[in-house]
Amino acid sequence: MNKLPLLLLIVLISFSCKENSEKKETANNKELNVYTHRHYDSDKALFELFEKQSGIKVNVINSKADELIQKMVLEGEQSPADVLITVDAGRLHMAKAKGLLQPVANKETIDSLVAPNLIDKDYHWVALTKRARVLVYAKDRVDPESLSTYEDLILPKWNDKLLFRSSSNIYNQSLMASIVANDGEDAAKKWAQGMVKNQARKPKGNDRDQVKAVAAGEGDIAIVNTYYIGKMLNSNDQSELEAVDKVAVYFPNQNDRGTHINVSGIGVAKHSPNAEAANQFIDFLLSEEAQSVFALSNYEYPVNTNVENSDVLKAWGDFKEDDLHLNLLGELNKKAVILFDEAGWK
Amino acid sequence: MKQAGSSQESFSFKHRIQRGIRDLNKWTVFTVLILLFIAVPVITIFFKLFGGPGESWGHITNYLLVDYLKNSLYLSVLCTLITLVTGVVSAWLVTRFEFPFRTYLEWLLIIPLAIPGYIMAYAYAGFLDYGGIFSWLISPFGIENFKLDMMNVVGLSFVLGISLFPYVYVSARAFFLTQALNLLEASRLLGVSETKSFFKLIFPLSRPAIVAGLVLVLMEVLNDYGAAQYFGVNTFTTGIFRSWFSLEEPETAIYLSALLLSIVFVLIILEKYQRRKLQYTSPKSGRTSINHRIKLSFPRQLLLSFLVSLPVVLGFLIPVIQLLQWAVKTYTQVFNQDLLWLSLQSFGIAFVAACFTVLFALLLLYFSKWNKIYSVQSAAKLGVLGYAIPGAVVAIGIMIPTLSLDKTFIELGWASKFIINGTLIALVYAYVVRFLAVAYQPLESSSLKVNSSIPDSSKILGMGNFKTFFKIEFPLLKAGMLSAFILVFIDILKELPLTLILKPYHINTLAVKAYGYASDEMVMQASIPSLFIILTALIPVIILNKLLLKNG
Repeated sequence: MNKLPLLLLIVLISFSCKENSEKKETANNKELNVYTHRHYDSDKALFELFEKQSGIKVNVINSKADELIQKMVLEGEQSPADVLITVDAGRLHMAKAKGLLQPVANKETIDSLVAPNLIDKDYHWVALTKRARVLVYAKDRVDPESLSTYEDLILPKWNDKLLFRSSSNIYNQSLMASIVANDGEDAAKKWAQGMVKNQARKPKGNDRDQVKAVAAGEGDIAIVNTYYIGKMLNSNDQSELEAVDKVAVYFPNQNDRGTHINVSGIGVAKHSPNAEAANQFIDFLLSEEAQSVFALSNYEYPVNTNVENSDVLKAWGDFKEDDLHLNLLGELNKKAVILFDEAGWK
Repeated sequence: MKQAGSSQESFSFKHRIQRGIRDLNKWTVFTVLILLFIAVPVITIFFKLFGGPGESWGHITNYLLVDYLKNSLYLSVLCTLITLVTGVVSAWLVTRFEFPFRTYLEWLLIIPLAIPGYIMAYAYAGFLDYGGIFSWLISPFGIENFKLDMMNVVGLSFVLGISLFPYVYVSARAFFLTQALNLLEASRLLGVSETKSFFKLIFPLSRPAIVAGLVLVLMEVLNDYGAAQYFGVNTFTTGIFRSWFSLEEPETAIYLSALLLSIVFVLIILEKYQRRKLQYTSPKSGRTSINHRIKLSFPRQLLLSFLVSLPVVLGFLIPVIQLLQWAVKTYTQVFNQDLLWLSLQSFGIAFVAACFTVLFALLLLYFSKWNKIYSVQSAAKLGVLGYAIPGAVVAIGIMIPTLSLDKTFIELGWASKFIINGTLIALVYAYVVRFLAVAYQPLESSSLKVNSSIPDSSKILGMGNFKTFFKIEFPLLKAGMLSAFILVFIDILKELPLTLILKPYHINTLAVKAYGYASDEMVMQASIPSLFIILTALIPVIILNKLLLKNG
C-alpha cells in the first residue's frame, strides 16, 4: 500500500516526459503559436481547418488579453507568440503601443475585404468579427418609438429603469470611449452620471443576466452585446428562451452616427518566429470560409463584406454602424475608465 | 553615559552577529536555499513596493480604494465567522459522536472545496434565479416569479464561506482525531461536562489547527476575483485587476498586490507572536483509538445527521444539482471522450504537483526547525505568502525570474528555446509556490503537536535529524501530511490563472475547459467540466480519508 503512491508518481512523471519529448519532435515542423483571448469551440474548429489546409500545426495559449500582453512583454525578443487575438480593439492598441506587434504582410487583401475603420492605421492589427452594443427593451412596457440614442437614456423618464453591468467590462468601456470621442469628455461624464442615476439596481451579473432582469421586470432597458442575444435565442434552457421572448432589440443612434460596435481582432507578434505562417493565418481567418463560421456559429457580424450575416442577425434587419475608427477607441479606453470611476459607475 | 550606551549597542549588535555565526549550521543554509527557491516570485513582487505605483494611484485612492477596502474587510469578517462555525462544529461532531451516515458525511464535508468559487457563484445565482430550481420548488405554494437575490456582499460571503469551510474542517479534524480525545476523557473523568470541556479545553487547544485553516480561508477570500466580479462586489482584488486591465498599469496592480502581501505577512507574524509563549504539545504521542464515539438516543442521532449534513447540502448537493440540471441540457453539445483524457491529465498534473508541494513544505518546515537562528525561522513564513495574492499576479512573479533564467540559457548557447517556460517545469514550480501555504499550514499545526521532548531525547541518544524525523516525527505527522495533500490536490485541480498562462500547449485541464465556457457566459456548458472536476477530486479524497482514519 505504501509503495502505491510512489509507483503512481513514477508512472505519471514518465507519462509527462513522454509528452515533452513528443513536443520536441514536432517543434522542427512548421508551427504557429496563437495567443488568444477568444475561447469558443467554433474557433477550435477553425484552427483545425487551418491545420488541415496549410499543414501548419496550431498551438493555442488561451488567457485574458492583458495577461497575454504581459507575458509577451516579459518574454521579449524570444517570445514564441506568432499572433495575438483579443476580444476588443483597446487591447490590440495597447499591444501595439508596447511595441509587441508588426504590420501585416498582405495589406491589399485586407483593404479589399475589411472596412477601413476596422483596420489599424499602421496595419498592426485588423478586426475579425463585429458585435453591436444594442438596447434590449421589455416588449410589454416600452414603446420602441420612445427610444432613440444612448445619450437619451439619461432622460428622467428612464429613472430607475436601466440595467447594465459593471464598468470593469470591456464592452462598456468601449461604448464609453465612443461617447467620449463623439460627444467630448464633459458630456461623457454627465452621461455616465445620468446613467448611474437612472439605474434600476447596482451593476452586477453578465450581459445575459441583464436580459433576464428586463424580462422579470427589474428594469425596462438593458445594454447588451448582440451575440449574447443570439445565443439566448438558441439556448437549451427553457427559462432563457422565455426571457428572451419577452424582450426586443433596438439599434440606437440610427439617425445620427450609428450604433456602437466593438470587435475582436488579430495582430502579428513583433518577434514572431513564423511571421509567414502568421500572415497566412490572418488571411485564412478573413477568408469567406472562415468568416461564415464566425457568423453562423457565434452570432457575430463578419468583417468580410462578402459574407452574409446569420439568419438570427438578419431578422433584426440592417442597421447603421458608428464608423468611428477603432484606433480612437483604444486611445480613449483609459480615459473612459477614469470617467466611469468619477461618475460612480461601479 | 552616551559613550557607554553606544558601546553597549555595538556590543549587542556584535554579540548578535557572533551568536548568529555560532548558531549557523547547514540547516540554516538549506532553509535559506529552499526559501529562496520558493519565495523568489513573492519577493520579486514584494520589491515592487519600492518601485511605487503608476500615475493612476491618485485616481485609485480618490475614487476606489475606500470602497474596496470596506468590502474586503466585510467579506473577510463574514467568511471567517461562517467557516469557523461550520468547520469546527462539523469536525467536532463527526469525531465525537456516532450517528447515521457519519462515515459518508466525513468525506463529503471535504468536497465543497472542489467546486471552483466562480462556478459555485454561478450555480447559486442560477439556482435562485427566476425560473430556477428554487422558484420551481416553491411554486406549489403559490409564489410565482420569485428570485432570492444573493448578488451582494452577504451572498458572496455565503458562497465563498460554504466552499472554503473544508480548510477549517480538515485541519480541525486532524487535530481532534489525534489529540483531543484523551484530553477530553481526562476532563470528563474529572467531572466537567461535555460542552464545557469543549469550550474550555478542546477549542482553545485546537487554536493552531483552526487558525491554520482560517489563514487559508482568508487568503483565498482576499484573492478571489471570479465570484466577486460576477456578483458585482468590488474588493481589493478588483482594484488590482482594475488598475491592471482597465487603467492599463500593471505596475500599479503589482504595487497593490505587494501591499496586500505586507498586510497578510503582518497578520501571520502577529498571530504567531501572540501565541508564542503558549505550548501546544501533549505529553503523550497522541494516538487514540476512535471507537470512543458517543452514541446518543436515536432521535438525537438523527438531529446530528441533519446538522452535519447541512453544510454538505449547501456546499455540495445544491450546486451539484444545479450543475446536473445544466449538464442534462448541454451534454450533447459538450460531452465527448476528450473529457476523460482531460480528467486524466488534470489528475496527473495535480498529483505530481501536490507531491512536490507537500515535499517542499516539509523540507521548509523541518530545515527551519533544525536551524537555530530564530530570524531565519520567522523568515520561513515568507514562503506561504504566494497564496494571498491573485494567481495572475503570482504568474508575473514566476515569469520574471524564470524567463530571465531561460534567456540566460539561450544567450549562453545551452538551449535553443525556453526550457522552463512553456514546459511542465514552470507550471509545477508555479503550483508549488502558490499552494505551499495550503500544505505548510496543516503540517505546521500538526508538527506543533509532536512534543519536542521525544525528538530531543532521540537526538541525545545519538540519532541524527533525518533518522529522528523518519522514526519518530514522520509517523506522527502522517495525518497532517494526508490532509495537506488532499487540500493541495483539490486546489490544483481547480486552479485557473496560473494554468492558463503557464501551461504547455499540449496540456489541458478541466478547469481551463470550464473557464473557457464560463468566461463567455456559457455557464450551462461549463457545468460538465465542473462536474468532472468534482468527480476527479472524489477519488483521492475517499482513498486518503480512509488512510487518514487508519492512521489517526
